[in-house]
Amino acid sequence: MKSHNPNLSASKSSSGREPEMIPQGIWSGTISFSLVAIPVQLVKAVDPGRVSFRMLHRDDYSPLQRRMFCPEEERIVAPDEIVKGYEIGPGKYIVMTDEELESVTPERSRTIEIIEFIDMKDVDPIYYEHPYYLVPLKGGEKAYRLLVEVLHRTNKAGLAKFVLAEREYLVAVESREGALALITLHYSEEILPDQDILPKGGKIETEEKSRMKNVIKKMMADFRPEKYADERREKILGLLKKKIKEKALVEAPEIGEEQGEGPADLIAALEESMRKVKKNR
Amino acid sequence: MSRKVVEIAGKRLSLSNLEKDLYPSYGFTKARILEYYRRIAKFILPHLKNRALTLKRYPEGVEEDFFFEKRCPPHRPEWAKTAEIRRDDGERMTVCLVNNLETLIWVENLASLELHVPLARASSPETPDFMVFDLDPGERANILDCASVALILRDLLSGLGLKGHLKTSGKKGLHMYVPLNRKDTTFEDTKKFSKAVAGIMQKNYPDLVTARMAKEYRKSKVFINWAQNDSSKTMVCVYSLRAQEKPVVSFPLSWKELERLAGKGDPGRLRILHSEALRRAEDGGDLFREVLVKKQKLPHL
Repeated sequence: MKSHNPNLSASKSSSGREPEMIPQGIWSGTISFSLVAIPVQLVKAVDPGRVSFRMLHRDDYSPLQRRMFCPEEERIVAPDEIVKGYEIGPGKYIVMTDEELESVTPERSRTIEIIEFIDMKDVDPIYYEHPYYLVPLKGGEKAYRLLVEVLHRTNKAGLAKFVLAEREYLVAVESREGALALITLHYSEEILPDQDILPKGGKIETEEKSRMKNVIKKMMADFRPEKYADERREKILGLLKKKIKEKALVEAPEIGEEQGEGPADLIAALEESMRKVKKNR
Repeated sequence: MSRKVVEIAGKRLSLSNLEKDLYPSYGFTKARILEYYRRIAKFILPHLKNRALTLKRYPEGVEEDFFFEKRCPPHRPEWAKTAEIRRDDGERMTVCLVNNLETLIWVENLASLELHVPLARASSPETPDFMVFDLDPGERANILDCASVALILRDLLSGLGLKGHLKTSGKKGLHMYVPLNRKDTTFEDTKKFSKAVAGIMQKNYPDLVTARMAKEYRKSKVFINWAQNDSSKTMVCVYSLRAQEKPVVSFPLSWKELERLAGKGDPGRLRILHSEALRRAEDGGDLFREVLVKKQKLPHL
């Protein structure tokens, strides 16, 4: 087979990506607080599904490679010659080694330890980062259902710190449609101040207000997200599908096909062996 | 959507769509695919071990679209072993290592019917463990022509003190593996060597062999694809199913068997289906084992 085959999963994408695939857990462990411990598995709740492309050389469709270039020496630099630097001023850096970065990377969490419970309505949606679901594992079903039920009734959510993929997240565990959802939250320092975007004073007329209210009222609808789609993505996938059907595919050249026959010693040995093969046939 | 939770070696796996027929014109459900891989596991696992797996997934079966996945799916179970590799373009990529039964069953549950692996292990990506000759019949040539080429190749290499092993590709061709298992052999070596071999073959059997990729040179001939000897290439793993009309397996053959079949004129004898593969592996053991252990040095480089 050839390598670098494009991910032409384009297939059934208009009806959602592989609907029959069950998301396998990206993490499993327990949710705990007080004396409660519920074994759970974390699964994705959304998948942005971007279409990605390889960069090819226009002339011969060779896949192109990214290389790190040193402008000072005017040469390409090997990966083992590369270190990370944090820029503290023009031309001034603090070098960080992989080991140093690793030393401050938190250990992967085994539990989602709920520190406190909060009212979900107090959480400004601007804090919402990424949604997941928690699925109960064997033995946890009953406690899971209980927590879902109580969080739903009280409209509360558990707040926890949780390490996933080398990063420590603040997360909210809430009840959603009979299941537990886990939402990673932004830290408050990530939220940018909004004072600057607020327009300055000026009185608003009651009449203007009611006119705008009327316009909005006329345009009211139920929120039905299925009415909308990422049209560009759909169109790209449609185009790819069409091109696959038309077999409009190009192949990258084999590398080094033009070079000579090989080392003289080897060629001589092969010729000699070939002579014997032919004689014995 | 049906699902079934199983436990393998203490690991829980949720299997889905077991009744889905992934080889519809033959009739072979996902449950039977999982069963094939469960039984072939002890033979295939040593050949997959510590190699970056390329998944070739057929979620809607062999008659529908497939897709390659080189990255290990991010929704993998936490116990699935992975390795970080550097791609040609310098970017890092996390790949799956199928080192045990539970991981094998997990990737099969993703309908990754075909398992493709590189010639080098993930920890030593520049050191091929074997040199391969991918014998691919062009239009109007068939697997028997590949068999003839393989027998000449065997004798040619044996004159240089090298022993090779053969498997069916499971499609139309044959794959010859020359075990090396030496730290000091590079892809540059195997490429140089295999290219010289392909060149000599083409020169001496111009009506039977071509060493050139372009389709117009391949009519009625067997293409010796030496360029597979590259760190970026993968080969279908021995014992992997192929996504053909029937569940055919890439299966090892003894030279004796090939000699016997080469003259028979029945290409169908070289198509080994799942049931025959299981029976033969369980009776005769792993004919491809030497590929993983035999140490050979490429001479005259």
